[in-house]
Amino acid sequence: MSPRDVRSALLSAPVPDELEAQRRTWGVVKTAYAEREPVRRPRRLRLLVALAVLATLVAAALSPPGRAVGDWLRDRVAGEEETQPALVRLPAAGQLLVVSGEGPWLVRPDGSKRRLGDYEDASFSPSARFVVATRGRRVVALEPDGDPRWSVTQPDPVADARWAPSPGFRVAYRAGNTLRVVAGDGTGDRLLAENVAEVAPAWQPLEGRTVLAYADAAGRVHVADSEGEERWSAEPGAPPAKLIWSSDGRFLLVVTTGVRHLFYGQGGRPAGILRTPPAHSVLDAEFEPGIRRVAYSAFDGERGIVVLGEERLQRVEGRISDLAFSPDGRWLLAGWPEADQFLFLRLPGVQRIVAVDDVRREFDPGSPGIGEFPQISGWCCSP
Amino acid sequence: MAGAGRDERALVRAAQAGSVADLEALFRDHWGRSYRAAYLVVHDAAAAEDVAQEAFLAAVRNLDRFDAGRPFGPWLHRIVVNRAIDWSRARALRREVGAGETIEAAAAPESGAPAAPLSDDVVAALATLSPDHRAVIVLRYVLEYSPGEIARMLEVPRGTVNSRLRRGLDALQGLVDVEEPQ
Repeated sequence: MSPRDVRSALLSAPVPDELEAQRRTWGVVKTAYAEREPVRRPRRLRLLVALAVLATLVAAALSPPGRAVGDWLRDRVAGEEETQPALVRLPAAGQLLVVSGEGPWLVRPDGSKRRLGDYEDASFSPSARFVVATRGRRVVALEPDGDPRWSVTQPDPVADARWAPSPGFRVAYRAGNTLRVVAGDGTGDRLLAENVAEVAPAWQPLEGRTVLAYADAAGRVHVADSEGEERWSAEPGAPPAKLIWSSDGRFLLVVTTGVRHLFYGQGGRPAGILRTPPAHSVLDAEFEPGIRRVAYSAFDGERGIVVLGEERLQRVEGRISDLAFSPDGRWLLAGWPEADQFLFLRLPGVQRIVAVDDVRREFDPGSPGIGEFPQISGWCCSP
Repeated sequence: MAGAGRDERALVRAAQAGSVADLEALFRDHWGRSYRAAYLVVHDAAAAEDVAQEAFLAAVRNLDRFDAGRPFGPWLHRIVVNRAIDWSRARALRREVGAGETIEAAAAPESGAPAAPLSDDVVAALATLSPDHRAVIVLRYVLEYSPGEIARMLEVPRGTVNSRLRRGLDALQGLVDVEEPQ
């Protein structure tokens, strides 16, 4: 039996109820089409939309029941919106590190991009002087032009390499189910912990300190120094998915795969719970630079939201996959795979939105634009 | 991959502009393969209808921001197959074993039983694979995407697609000659 026979068998196999299902579904689709309410519209309609929104806002402001309308609008079209067909410039200083299926890309403020090579994951060194990337069994420190500076090879696949804060004397990474540390010049590689979870380690962002948080395979969070000496550990109640320090290093947020996401203070003291709407999964979170306030993206199975502190900044169809603050904290970048867009949200509130279209093709030139949506790895300081 | 062409682009543009008739033409063009693909991954007619319906609804909700210059099929099929995988995984977590038992019985008929049509055997054998492997087989042999296209649609490395194709076809051994993935 040949593959052609397989194809023929699968295409000729009777599929139950096909025509009835088609009839029922067309009824549902037709109704949805008649009632559809696009979240974002083609550019040619932007002016009409802006005028319609303006008219609605005026009506809302003039009528007492308009408050609810105003709240609804704020979720949907808050801020002046501008669409860029391509990432022609960053709205704030710093460099953006984006990882697509083609590898990591460094985006400069003028929008110029450089692909750093064929790597699967990447993150900035402090001050963005280097990028540490992984591929297969290799950890590689790269110059901003993509030239390798040093590399370390392990017998097991490596991932999640993260550079310690300034002056950047250490790099932590996962190798198989272990956590390892290597000096910032690629020497002195050693084992730090075994049986760790597939969660990126997070260095406490205090200059000159080399203390990091990691999760073990049993779901416990540990905070240890780079010699492996444990400072504290905690059980967040559900498997950790992401570990995030506040910029002053005083609080660690543990985003879990469950519904409770916990803050820990010094010594592992429980310091609160991230308040999220019911029935929403948290997909990403970041502390606002210099402020102990958290931005997070969450998804209820249909719509995604971006929340900063207690304020909902955006609501979209589909997920918001990643978040990153600009180095000055004035912009929040959100990746929106369903729309193939990056959304730059001007803070505070959302004073302005810059939506960049066609992100998949931007970071995978020549492709049909249906591949993996790029991951936002970081938005860091200029070198 | 069939379905993408100037005519389809015209249908998408017309549907974006508000033409129900063109939306219906687009729906009819894609329903059969989408429903079949969903069914061959989930092996449950009601679930296949839900999956395909959700995919078309997602397409309608996102129609205005769809680039009419791109082929519509891959966009829709990506949603269909990913939702079918999600549904199958969720069913596995709920330990609903009834369908599996039926399929196993169909895959190994008792001696002397009338032979099932070849397509039934292949479908039954397919049902014994994991949802991820079924999805890759369906994308390759029903929807006729290349391994590179499948990798992009499922957001997995191409090597993973090749290995799933190989393992999937290996698992169908006895019914299927193994084809080296491209």
